[in-house]
Amino acid sequence: MLQHGPLLERLLAGDFICQVSDEDAFRHLSLEQTQQDINHYLRPLNRRLVSNDDNSVYFLAYHELNKAAREQLSSQFALTVQSLLPLLEWLQLVQETLGRDSALTAGDTIKLQEFVLRTEDNQSLRQRLNQLASDRFFNSQSDALDNQVKLIFRRLKEHGYLLQPHSDRQYYIVTGKIDYLIDVIRFIRDEEHLPVDDTPTQQAIL
Amino acid sequence: MAPLDTGVASNLFSVGAERLALLGKHHKALMQGYLDGFIDEAAFSESALKKLIAARILWRPDEQQPLALRPLVSELIASMVADENRRQINADVAEKLEQIRNRVQAYRDAQYKSDYSVAELQLQRLTEHVHDLSGQFEEAIDSLWHRLNSDFGFVASLDDKIRENERAQKQLRRLLDGLVLLDFNELIELSEGNNQLRKLLVSQLQNQLSSHHSSLLEVQKRLVELLARFRQQQSRSMLITNMAAFLRQHPKYQPADYPNRSDVPVLFNQAAAIQPQAAIALDKASERQILAELVRALPRAAVINLPDQQSASFAAVMEDEEIAARQQALKTDVENFYLRVIDKAGPLSALDYLTEHQLSWDSEIWLYQIIAEYQALPVDEKHMFAIKRDEVPASAVNSLLLIRDISLSLQAA
Repeated sequence: MLQHGPLLERLLAGDFICQVSDEDAFRHLSLEQTQQDINHYLRPLNRRLVSNDDNSVYFLAYHELNKAAREQLSSQFALTVQSLLPLLEWLQLVQETLGRDSALTAGDTIKLQEFVLRTEDNQSLRQRLNQLASDRFFNSQSDALDNQVKLIFRRLKEHGYLLQPHSDRQYYIVTGKIDYLIDVIRFIRDEEHLPVDDTPTQQAIL
Repeated sequence: MAPLDTGVASNLFSVGAERLALLGKHHKALMQGYLDGFIDEAAFSESALKKLIAARILWRPDEQQPLALRPLVSELIASMVADENRRQINADVAEKLEQIRNRVQAYRDAQYKSDYSVAELQLQRLTEHVHDLSGQFEEAIDSLWHRLNSDFGFVASLDDKIRENERAQKQLRRLLDGLVLLDFNELIELSEGNNQLRKLLVSQLQNQLSSHHSSLLEVQKRLVELLARFRQQQSRSMLITNMAAFLRQHPKYQPADYPNRSDVPVLFNQAAAIQPQAAIALDKASERQILAELVRALPRAAVINLPDQQSASFAAVMEDEEIAARQQALKTDVENFYLRVIDKAGPLSALDYLTEHQLSWDSEIWLYQIIAEYQALPVDEKHMFAIKRDEVPASAVNSLLLIRDISLSLQAA
C-alpha cells in the first residue's frame, strides 16, 4: 500500500483522479488489483473507490450511508446543482470564444491570454462573461475583464475542472472531471426525462 | 497491337512536352483557377487560351459558364498538394484487371510469334499497368491517412467532419471490394510457365496488395474510432447547449433528492474530504535518531532567516495580541451599548449603562470609545443618533469643558 500513499492522500482529500490530473495514478487505478487494495484500505474509513460510467475519472464515495454521510451528500448535491448552469455557460462561452467546433474535453488546453483577447473585442462575449463572473458560483466583485477571467479560471481550478501545469504560466488543461459533469447532466436528464436532446436529428445529419 | 512507329512516338513526345510546358508557363494563373473554380480569361492572351483549350487543360463545361480546368488537371493538382477537399479516389479495379489480362495475352501472342521487340514492349506496358494498379491503392491509402491524421481538419464544422468521415469509409469499402476482385489463382494461371510474368504478377503484386490490404484495415479501424469520437463530441455539444437552455428557461428547476434515496447513484456519492494529519511520535526509541536530526535541521534554517531581533519581536507580537483582544472586547461592549440605545426609546446615559452592566472599563476610556465609535459611523447613520454631552467647565477660571457623561438617543429620521 505504501507505493500508493500519495495517491490515497489525493483521493482522501476529495480529488478526482483522471488521465490528465495524474497519469501514473490513473493507470494504477485502472488495475483491478490496485482497486481492491485501495478499497480494502479505505474500508475502515467508510470510503470506497468509484468511477464514472466510462471509467475516465476516479473519486471516493461513502461505503455506508449513515446520517452524517447523507447530510454531506445533500449539501454536496445542492452545490452541484447550483453550479450546473454556470459551468455549462462557461463551456459554451469558451467554445464560442475560441471558435472551437466541439465542446471542451479532457486534455484540451486553454490559453488565458487568447481567451481574454478574443473576449475584449467582442461586446456580446464581454457581456456574457461579465454576467457569468458575477454568478454566485464564481462570485467576482471586479469589473475588470482580466480579473474576472482570472477568477473564473482559478475557481475552476479549485473545483478540479482545470489543471494549471505551471503556476506562473497562464494556460490551463481541462481535466477528466468535465466528463463527470457531463455524466451528471446526462444522468439528471435521463432520470427526470427532461426534454434535452443530445442526438442530432435526421435533418441535421442530412 | 502494332508497335508505334518512331515517327508517331516522336510526335507524341514533342506534343506532350509542349503541353506540359504550357502548364508550367501559366502556373500561377492556372493555380488561381484551381482555387477559384474558374479561369480568369483576362489573365491570358487570346492565343494562350486557344492553346490551353487545345491541350485539353482548360474547357468550357457549358456555353454560359466561364472556362475551367479539366477535371483530370484539377485532380492532378489535388493529388500533388494533398488537397483532401478535391482529391479523388479511384477504386475501379475491374478495368485495370481487364487491361492486365489483355496485355498478358498480347505478350504471349508476341512471344509465340517470336516477335521479341513487341513482346518487350508489351511487357513494359504490362509492368506499367501493374504499377498503376498498386499505385492507385497507394494514392488512396495516402489520401485516407492524410485525412485521418489531420482529424479531417480541412473542413470546418463537426457536422462536415462526420460527413467526410462517412464518405471516407465508403471509399474504403469500395477499395476493399476492389481488392477482393483480384483473384491470385487467376494471376498464377496467367503467369503459368513464365518467370518474368510470375515475378511481376504473383510475387510483386501479391506482396504489395497484401500490405495495402492491411493498411486499409488499419485505416478503417481508425476511421470508425474517429467517427465514434466525432459523434461523442457532437452529442456532448448538443447536451451542453440544450441543458443550458433548459436551465435558463427553468431557473427554479430542482432535480429529485438523489442523496436521500435508498440507493444513491454513484455519481452523487462523493465522500467528504479527509485531510490526513500526522505528528511526531516520541514513543519509538528507534526513531529518536531521525527525530533528533530533524529537530537539529529545523532551527538552523530559522537562525538564518531571523537575526538577533528574534526575542524582541516575539514579545512585541504577544503584547499586540493582548491589546487587540482587549480593544476588541471594549468595542463589543460599546456596540452592545449602541444596540441598547436603538432598542430603548429615550436617551441612555453611558455611565449609567456602565454601572448597570458592571463593566470593568475605566469610565474615561468608556466615554472616549463611545465618541470614537460615533465618529466612525457613516454620515447617514450618524444622523440616526442624537449625542448629548454632559459638560462642565474645568474650574471657575478655566473655561475648558470637561465631559462628565454622554447620553445617546435614537433620533427620528
